[in-house]
Amino acid sequence: MILPRFDVLTPATVTEACALLAAHTAAGVRILAGGTDLLVELRRPIIPQHVPRCDGCPTHPEGAVFSTIDCTMWNSEPLMAAGGSVRAAVKPPAFLLSLHKLRDLRGLQKRTDGSLRVGACTTITDIERSRDIREGWTALAEGADNLGSPLVRNRGTVGGNIANARPAADTAVPTIALRATLVLRSTSGIRTIAAADFPTGPGKTIINPGEILTYIEYPAPAKYSGSAYHKLANRKALEISTVGVAVYLALETPGGPVADVSVALGAVGPKPLAAASVGPVLLGRIPDETAINDAARAAMEDARPIDDHRGSAWYRLQMVEVLTRRLLKTALARAEGKK
Amino acid sequence: MKKLITLTVNGVLHELAVEPRRTLLQVIREDLGLTGTEKGCGIGDCGTCTVLVDGVATFSCLTLAVQVEGCAVETVESLAENGKLNALQQAFVDHGAVQCGYCSPGMLMTSTELLRRNPHPTEQEIRRAISGNLCRCTGYQKIVEAIQAAAGGQHE
Repeated sequence: MILPRFDVLTPATVTEACALLAAHTAAGVRILAGGTDLLVELRRPIIPQHVPRCDGCPTHPEGAVFSTIDCTMWNSEPLMAAGGSVRAAVKPPAFLLSLHKLRDLRGLQKRTDGSLRVGACTTITDIERSRDIREGWTALAEGADNLGSPLVRNRGTVGGNIANARPAADTAVPTIALRATLVLRSTSGIRTIAAADFPTGPGKTIINPGEILTYIEYPAPAKYSGSAYHKLANRKALEISTVGVAVYLALETPGGPVADVSVALGAVGPKPLAAASVGPVLLGRIPDETAINDAARAAMEDARPIDDHRGSAWYRLQMVEVLTRRLLKTALARAEGKK
Repeated sequence: MKKLITLTVNGVLHELAVEPRRTLLQVIREDLGLTGTEKGCGIGDCGTCTVLVDGVATFSCLTLAVQVEGCAVETVESLAENGKLNALQQAFVDHGAVQCGYCSPGMLMTSTELLRRNPHPTEQEIRRAISGNLCRCTGYQKIVEAIQAAAGGQHE
């Protein structure tokens, strides 16, 4: 792979990173974490490469050429896709800001209130192997299990997966279901935002130029609660999900009514979505077969799937119901301590 | 504008001036002349460029050399001991896990990491560990058997 020319900035602290980012915004700078997405995006398109059909992508059936900027916020030139099936050359940024020296941003910190703070540069492998996450935030561990391949997980970071804002991102979907808060840092201070409000479309987020995603904060799980994630895909590795669903469920008491529920959907919309329709259907009810079926059907109302080579919109919609139903049962069993 | 970095490769400390855009793979192959590490897809799908960075299996094609400054890198050349194939390499040969050989450097490095972390992996653990390394010849079965044999597993 021949990469275009750029310079790499290597700040040693988060404060320095914010200053460098602000100073180089005008010249064009992208944030480099694991590089598993960014370096692929920046490579020169020597061989025409198919890109997935999703809203805003050049192969989208609505048109062979698109003129809005989707892949990168730094390049103001319209991306032209020849023939509608070729990855367009992305104008390279003059600078990459590499986060590899920011040790503060790598690792997990369980807090006294039971919440968990995850550094944005924590690798997917670190998440996959964390016993704390598997016990308390199981859906996130299951998202990490299913992301890419072991080699991708060794390099890729949870912050990168979330900030890259792909609709099927395997850690973003559980992060939304677990109601995490994202902490953004810039020279003007700290801003926090709910994970569900962070992505705005394929590859797009509310992050402003000059801001860095530094931490992801997962609230403490309720006493009788459980969570689960399932990735529906054709392969077990190196795959982008056809549908991904994450569920968090809390009970007032074992065997009692539902105290809290949160469902997030991946690959069935332009971004990972929170399925807001589930809560009103399930809250306060005993989670029996009927209640769970009603909730699963409600989740379908929030999905906005499209047809593509991974599956039809119709199929995806059915799978939202099936997966939500199964995952509610899994989360319920976990909430009741049956694993 | 080149950057000066230090890199320990197979136990030898190198001081290198590298262009920021150069990948670890390019530096290993072109600057250091260690061509055992192969370049495959170049986008992190095939795994043949796998090396160990501070003991972690890493695709060198998607890692900039400046990102691993000061790290210890192990390539496939580090496996043989005194010109003799190590147990894992020999197992690959003995079990027919090498056909065209293009995936072998990546397979060997990925399984080296696996066996260090988990000296007696199950078949499922092996298959999961090498799921980021593509082989188009063997159908994986012979590779899995070779790794099992090297681990002293219950092969045959």
